[in-house]
This record gives sequence, C-alpha cells and structure tokens, in this order.
Amino acid sequence: MALSRRTRRILILVPLTLLLLGAGVYMYVASEKFGDTRLKQSDFSVTARDFIREFEADQAAANLKYNDKIVTVSGRVNAVEPADTAINVKFVDTTSGSYIIFAFQDQDLPGARKLGVGDSVSIKGSFSSGLYSDILGTTFITFKRSALEKIITKTGT
Amino acid sequence: MKKSISLIAAIFIVAAAFAQKKTTTSAVIAFDASTAIDNLPKAVNKTAIGAVDIRTGTVQFEAAVKNFAFTNPRIQEHFNGKNWLNSDEFPKFSFSGSIENVKKINFKKNGVYTVQVSGNLTIRDVTKPLTTPATITVNGSTLTATTEFSIVLADFGISGVPIDAGKVAREPKITVSAELN
Repeated sequence: MALSRRTRRILILVPLTLLLLGAGVYMYVASEKFGDTRLKQSDFSVTARDFIREFEADQAAANLKYNDKIVTVSGRVNAVEPADTAINVKFVDTTSGSYIIFAFQDQDLPGARKLGVGDSVSIKGSFSSGLYSDILGTTFITFKRSALEKIITKTGT
Repeated sequence: MKKSISLIAAIFIVAAAFAQKKTTTSAVIAFDASTAIDNLPKAVNKTAIGAVDIRTGTVQFEAAVKNFAFTNPRIQEHFNGKNWLNSDEFPKFSFSGSIENVKKINFKKNGVYTVQVSGNLTIRDVTKPLTTPATITVNGSTLTATTEFSIVLADFGISGVPIDAGKVAREPKITVSAELN
C-alpha cells in the first residue's frame, strides 16, 4: 500500500523535529554552568560561631535547613590553607575545634589570597554539608564556589 | 617569666613541627569520569581531610561527597542523586590504610619517595580493598602526597543508563593531592 505524500512528509518531519528538539535540549543542558556566587542572593546570613553551634547541636536538622542554599558567613579567619593551586579559608571554633571551610570559585581566588589570619570577613558560598570527621573528631562544614563578600577589618598577616 | 614563656612556646613549636601525625583539611581529590563522548562528569573536592602517621605509616582520608564541585549543575545533581552516590544517605568517602615499608622514608631529610599505599576505600557504605602507588615528598616538616588510581563504579553498586551509554566512564580516575603539616 502506497503512503500518501502527506503521510510520508509527516513520517519524515516528526522524527526530524523530535531529533532536533532532543539535540537542542541536550546542548542546553550540557552548556549549563553554575553562575557567579557573588551575583546570587543569600538564603541565609549567619555568624561563624552560631553556624557551627547549630551543626553541633543537631547536624541532621542543620543539613536539611541549609541543603543547597547560598549562605553568607561572617567570622574571623583562623587559617588560609593551600589546596593544590588554590587556597581555602577557615573559620574555627577554638573551643571545640569544629570548623567551616570555604573553597573559592576561580574568579574569587585572587581576593581570597590576600586574606590573612585575624581578618574579619564575610564569605558567601554554596553550602555542601556539615559532617563529623572520624579523623579529627570534630565537625567540619564545607562550602564550594565561595566568593569573598566583604572584608570587615583587615588585621591579619 | 619571659624566658619561661619563650621556652614553652619553643617546645610547642618544635613538637608541632615534628608531630607524628601530619594532617590537612585541604586535600584535593579530583574525580574524572569523562569519556570520549561526554566531557562533563568530572569534579574536584578541595576540602578533604587527610592524616598520615609518620611513625606507623597509617593513612586516612575522608571527603564530603557534596563538596565535589562540577561545572554543570545537572551532572552535580545526578552525582549526588539516589542512583549514584546518594550523598544524603552516604555523605562521606573514606579511605583507611597504611604505607608499605614506611621505614624506607626518612622523614627528617628532604626527599621524594615512591611508595605503595594499601587499605580500604569506602563509598556508599561499600568497602573495597585498594592498593595504589603514591609519591611522598618530604620538605622540612611538610609532607606532600600525591596518588592516582581508578575505581570500578559497579564494585560500589553504581550503575545506570549514562554508564551503559558510554557517557560516564565505568572506571573513573581519582587523583589525590595533599599537603600535610
């Protein structure tokens, strides 16, 4: 049975359109990238001390609350550590040893490199998780793609 | 009084410099599951915790799964999802092992040593033995350790269409770099 010209056109055009649509969606998803954290609105603004205590008090609840959120944390820099070619900045609760550590987005590394121990700053980052370290015996809270939001006082070296 | 304080401070500094357990909270772990047809499944975690006991040779690492940063949001979501690492339920990777022939490393003299590290790697609550060559560089009181190895995703119960379709490597490459003090 011969197909009509119209049916033949539909049989060709529909799969072709679906293929193009699929390729378009794939290209869109594949080219998607995380935006600049600096330009994102913070979901929460906290002090390092209160933030650490929240995790020490109830880790599960705190992880749920901040899951995938952008959080701005203010505190005093206790350490600036090399992480291969990058650097990380830490706020440490000197009583418990628990700490918050920020890995920076590439464009914010030059600013972060200028920080020293003792500086009071606020850092905005993408919250990852707060967990108990079996190695250190303390809570560690991690952030990725962080941006240095503000240097409150520069006293560190 | 001043002398006593200086002496105590000096003792602490010397003790810290030659501490038997060297640690870091900024070890870098790179995960590369990219393939010839998909360059996206790769990520880096710059906040892994590591410890090396230079007396016994024990080595420990742990990393928060959610702190692996991908460039692509969708891939990061899949990586943490239930079918993959299921990071809500299994939030950490960990490794516990030891340096074979730790005695061959002179931790008091600067140098570069190639060693074998053997131990157990735990991902998604599944523990598998792992032996890998590692390079340890002694520079004063600082140790730099690097290693590279592959894992078989199926060994840890990770499978799925993207792996079968060749978009995610069946045996991703893991690279570890740590500066321990």
